[in-house]
Amino acid sequence: MAIIDRPLAIGAGDEAAATADRPLGDLTRPKNSESWRDWLITVDHKKIGIMYGVAAMFFFVIGGAEALLIRLQLATPNGTLLSPEVYNQVFTMHGVTMIFLVIMPLAAAFANYLLPLQIGARDVAFPRLNALSFWVFLFGGLFLNSSWLLGGGADGGWFNYSPNSSVTFSPSHGIDFYALGLQITGIASLVSAINLITTVLNMRPKGMSLFRMPIFTWMNLVVQFLLLFAVPVISVALFELTFDRLFDANFFNTEKGADPLLWQHLFWIFGHPEVYILILPSFGIISEVIPTFSRKPIFGYSFMVFSGIAIGFMGWGVWAHHMFVSGIGPISVAAFSFSTMFIAVPTGVKILNWLATIWGGRLRFTTAMLFAVGVVSMFTIGGLSGVTHSIAPADTQQTDTYYIVAHFHYVIFGGALLGIFSGFYFWWPKMFGYMLNERIGKWNFWLQIVGFNVTFGPMHILGLQGMSRRIDTYDEDFGFEFWNLVATIGSFIIAAGIAIFFYNVAYSRKEWKKAGMPNPGPDPWDARSLEWMTASPTPEHNFDEEIIVESQDEFWHRKYGYDENNNVVRIATAEEVAQDGSNHNVHLPSPSYFPIVLALGLPIVSYGLIYSLWLCIPGAALIIYGFVGWIFEHPDDPNAAHDHHDDHGDSDDPEAVEAGAEDVDVDEVVAEAEEELVAAGAEMESDNG
Amino acid sequence: MTSTPSTRKALRLLAVVAASLVLAACTQDPELTTLGDDLAGPEARQIDNFLQWILWICYAVFAGVLGVTIYAWKNFGIDGDDYEEDDWPEQIHGNDKLEYAWTALPAILLFAIGLFTLTVHNSLNSEDTNPINVVVNGESVSWEPQVVVVGQQWWWEYQYHFGDVDVDQERVQTLPTPDITTATQMVIPVGQEIELEITSRDVIHSHWIPSLNGKRDAVPGRQSAPWKIEADRPGVYFGQCTEFCGLSHSRMRMQVVALEKPEFDAWIEAQMQGVPLDADTAAYVDALVAGDTAAPENSQQRAIATFRGKCASCHLMEGVADDLWSEESVAQKLVAGAAPNLTHFSSRTTFAGGIRNVWDPKTGEFNQNDLAQWLRDPASIKANFTELDERGRLRGMPNLELTTQEVDDLIGLLEITGPKPSPEVIEATGVEAPTEENAQGES
Amino acid sequence: MASATAVVDEHAGHDDHGHAETNTGISNNKLAMWLFLSSDCLLFGALISSFLLYRTNISDGTEFEGPGEVFDIPFTSLSSFILLMSSLTMVLALSAVNRDDERSGRIWMLCTAFLGMLFIGGQVFEFTEFAGKGLGYTTNTWTSAFYTLTGFHGVHVSVGILMLLGTVFGTRNSGMGKEKSETVELVGLYWHFVDIVWVIIFTVIYLIPIG
Repeated sequence: MAIIDRPLAIGAGDEAAATADRPLGDLTRPKNSESWRDWLITVDHKKIGIMYGVAAMFFFVIGGAEALLIRLQLATPNGTLLSPEVYNQVFTMHGVTMIFLVIMPLAAAFANYLLPLQIGARDVAFPRLNALSFWVFLFGGLFLNSSWLLGGGADGGWFNYSPNSSVTFSPSHGIDFYALGLQITGIASLVSAINLITTVLNMRPKGMSLFRMPIFTWMNLVVQFLLLFAVPVISVALFELTFDRLFDANFFNTEKGADPLLWQHLFWIFGHPEVYILILPSFGIISEVIPTFSRKPIFGYSFMVFSGIAIGFMGWGVWAHHMFVSGIGPISVAAFSFSTMFIAVPTGVKILNWLATIWGGRLRFTTAMLFAVGVVSMFTIGGLSGVTHSIAPADTQQTDTYYIVAHFHYVIFGGALLGIFSGFYFWWPKMFGYMLNERIGKWNFWLQIVGFNVTFGPMHILGLQGMSRRIDTYDEDFGFEFWNLVATIGSFIIAAGIAIFFYNVAYSRKEWKKAGMPNPGPDPWDARSLEWMTASPTPEHNFDEEIIVESQDEFWHRKYGYDENNNVVRIATAEEVAQDGSNHNVHLPSPSYFPIVLALGLPIVSYGLIYSLWLCIPGAALIIYGFVGWIFEHPDDPNAAHDHHDDHGDSDDPEAVEAGAEDVDVDEVVAEAEEELVAAGAEMESDNG
Repeated sequence: MTSTPSTRKALRLLAVVAASLVLAACTQDPELTTLGDDLAGPEARQIDNFLQWILWICYAVFAGVLGVTIYAWKNFGIDGDDYEEDDWPEQIHGNDKLEYAWTALPAILLFAIGLFTLTVHNSLNSEDTNPINVVVNGESVSWEPQVVVVGQQWWWEYQYHFGDVDVDQERVQTLPTPDITTATQMVIPVGQEIELEITSRDVIHSHWIPSLNGKRDAVPGRQSAPWKIEADRPGVYFGQCTEFCGLSHSRMRMQVVALEKPEFDAWIEAQMQGVPLDADTAAYVDALVAGDTAAPENSQQRAIATFRGKCASCHLMEGVADDLWSEESVAQKLVAGAAPNLTHFSSRTTFAGGIRNVWDPKTGEFNQNDLAQWLRDPASIKANFTELDERGRLRGMPNLELTTQEVDDLIGLLEITGPKPSPEVIEATGVEAPTEENAQGES
Repeated sequence: MASATAVVDEHAGHDDHGHAETNTGISNNKLAMWLFLSSDCLLFGALISSFLLYRTNISDGTEFEGPGEVFDIPFTSLSSFILLMSSLTMVLALSAVNRDDERSGRIWMLCTAFLGMLFIGGQVFEFTEFAGKGLGYTTNTWTSAFYTLTGFHGVHVSVGILMLLGTVFGTRNSGMGKEKSETVELVGLYWHFVDIVWVIIFTVIYLIPIG
């Protein structure tokens, strides 16, 4: 069974090498320990998820500081805090950091932690690849930010239009760091996408058909498919840029007749799906939070799923709406204007479904719920201003103004980030075993949402008043000073809200220790999906035994049933239903040194490409060593019992337990599961087609 | 309503902030705007009118979403911190009819909006320019009103071709020499639709005069699909480059000066002349051109000598240094391959990418202070790229290490290039220059 | 339909290998390979698009009048034929491994790798020829796009050769029993993909005349 599977290692020859005669000597796998080193070699999806979160919050602080610098510079006309040179670097790195190093990895943190749990799996399909994704991301992000210490960050904007990104127009190394750094984080995203798609499609337990998966899992599945297809496109654009800058290629060399719009097309073919990559995980999070705190199932499950898929598909047909004023021709503009409008339809369906879920529920406004409801209304503003952009004539006035800045912050901050904070408050007890303080949490929420609206609301007005984006100074006569000052004040309110979040983490942890570390129980929120069906914090092996799934919201249906009047009645407590994490005989993948080794090679090669090709040699050596070691390393810790057929007592053996479960349900469950798998398989084919 | 004291406090704060915002919003006097009565172009007005409709729909949708949320909060919120064990609402999993309805209705609404969009889009992209008669060198010429707009780091050039040039088929490098070349300010006749051919010499810029029409990118190597501009009343309309174009992107501004037709004709006539020099100085220039070493006799002649020595390899001043200037030589010195044509410098009201006044809007005097600062140390006014690129070329105006005498002489020469614009135009321009300390802090 | 059949298989009998049982019936490794290849399609799609944009853009001011004058179509056709033949040997290798005929399997894989190397050799030869005629990587937009596209393909072929050799020699001591047939199958999937991509690249670059 998949759930007790060994980690299936990549590539050729791993298992063969694992037999007695190890061809490359004694590459044994490290053992788990309690020390910090364990985090460096872990392949546990939960630890990796937490590391994603910690790293992303670290970059969040950097990106936030950059945002405050921008706001301080613009607080008054003719601001002089930053020189134009530094300002251009700061806003570029703010965008790059927030998109690639904060929102995407925060979504990856939740996806890594929760996807296996929500589908009832033991780990992801390729645990070592999962660790690789994280380390590659982390080193890519650090590499990107190291440019600050090495002569300045990229200065071409996150969109980095050619030919302004060429050596002639940006002779510093900033854009080299941009191109190589994003290339590295792209590898992380791609590997992670392959891994998570395989996990979700292949590793569900019996009965967990695709249409019983939680919406969060669904939205992330869509996101991973978007990444799978979007990342290679930006990779090609970044390769071309890198070759232009480092090896004098001519992809964007207008002096030799290159077309600058090539970059724009490649960038936005990636860039628009990227918007949905940022927002859909948050949609998934609030689709879990809202039903839980409304005491109702999600309204229109299948419409939620299909609208997510529809957004995923339609996201590929709208990229040129970023280029309405680039001169792509009136007919293209008209076509993309139309296609863009219709992407509002599935998004609207989602918003109406959330409202319908709330309607008639029993609403409990915990901090998580406040953030989730905040997403619904704030994202609506972003979506509506998006509709005004899709109107090409209006966009000729709005694009590249602060109206756009307002729009995408309402989408990315109001949609994605607030949703992620909702997820923090919701899943914190599951991840760390203690609850975040609700009273402080509400301060966090209100400061954040008020600050957010005070910051970005006025930007709509500024944009329509004619304030261009990416300007480091403006004239007193332009009439921008008042709203800019307001926005700057708002940005500090946001900063206070974020600071309170960090304070809340520290405070709640301290109080929890003071109170003798009470366990919040497996299910502190009376929630609905499988991740709540195991102990908090999640035991290393996730589930003691495989869960046979019989319905959507499986965990809820095990806790509650209906009486003859169709009223909800409790049939079991969460503690009775949930597994207590006491089974210590579940086979776990062994940790590995090689993901971090392999990942470390990438930034070294990149420094080599920028500064001296000699440096590429140790980098490449590290990558090759990591790769070879990876392939030939023993698939398991040889000293730990791993052959479950022989070493475990029957009662402990998960497979035996699972077999026992089958004895009870036997044919019915199997037949049903089969039917659904056939349907799921057929559907998957059509998805892929 | 189940809000805690902290939520109530926060809501009160929100209300106070919102109220103060609305009050303060009424005190603006914008130079750039895309909204309302300040618009002077039929295109901008058409866009604004359409957008207002859309915005009302957006307000309505948002009010609906927020209304439902607040209603639900008030009516479905539970009391207390936790649920009663058996307090369960009806478990509704969905309603297909409702779903189809709220999929179809927005789709129909958006389809309708889409149709209106196409109408507006078509009208904005259709050409409707009428030839007008202008007097060029004493002859009346029929001119299809068309201006070539060329962006470069970090200023705009406007070219007027009166001859038979099919402008939109050419790359900027291969266009014939324009009849009139101006920098930073485009002069157009009122009530006349002008076709803009927008392109760039280096990176991508975007040309935007918000109160007249939307923007259009200037893409190097490409002539944009035609874009038009029209002002229906005389005035000065401000613009700003809106595609990020590097270091001084925020200091790349421009104005459109809309003149009544007779004034526009006068403007053309003046622009067709060279620099107005007296006979002695003209003879002095002739001598220099012939290669004779004539000693300058006055400030103006000294300025001409300085100009020919230090400025003429990039800047063209017709009648003063035509012989020293060629496109090839400029292309070797500057990445963009062009510097502003200074023949009629003082007929414009702004310089340095539209961020400083040529004429003081209050006194009407020639703005010697800012010009002197610019000539002494350009980077103190506008960040430039003073490092040479790999081919030894510059971006922006270098510091030429001019002496005080040379600066004074050059200012004197620039002042007479004229003709001086009308007082109305000078007053309407009036860009607000930051104090000198501020400006130096920026560099 | 394929996956539906596979699902039935899943419960029909998997006594011989315990952990290939997945929801889709496709093993994790194979599904991952398919996903990777589908992603790679977009990589080549973007590269080919870039090439198409610059296919006729040869205005570099030199005497080079278009790729037609440097192309040696018969030579490139021959090396393309060699690469296509390597797909055949790959098929033979897999079928041998599936028959438990380990020795033939190894030989056919070595043949495949050898043919791949011949192709790469041809590519290196061609690049040197072009460079000798003054067409460097930096000459114009056409050369940049050409070398990048064919170079990326060449790197893919080289990786494929390494995978083949790794499979042949990495399993030397342990034998390549039937359970290893999947590894061979995965390498084969990758190899066929790279071949198909070459057919498209060959058509786009060499066969479609520049109008």
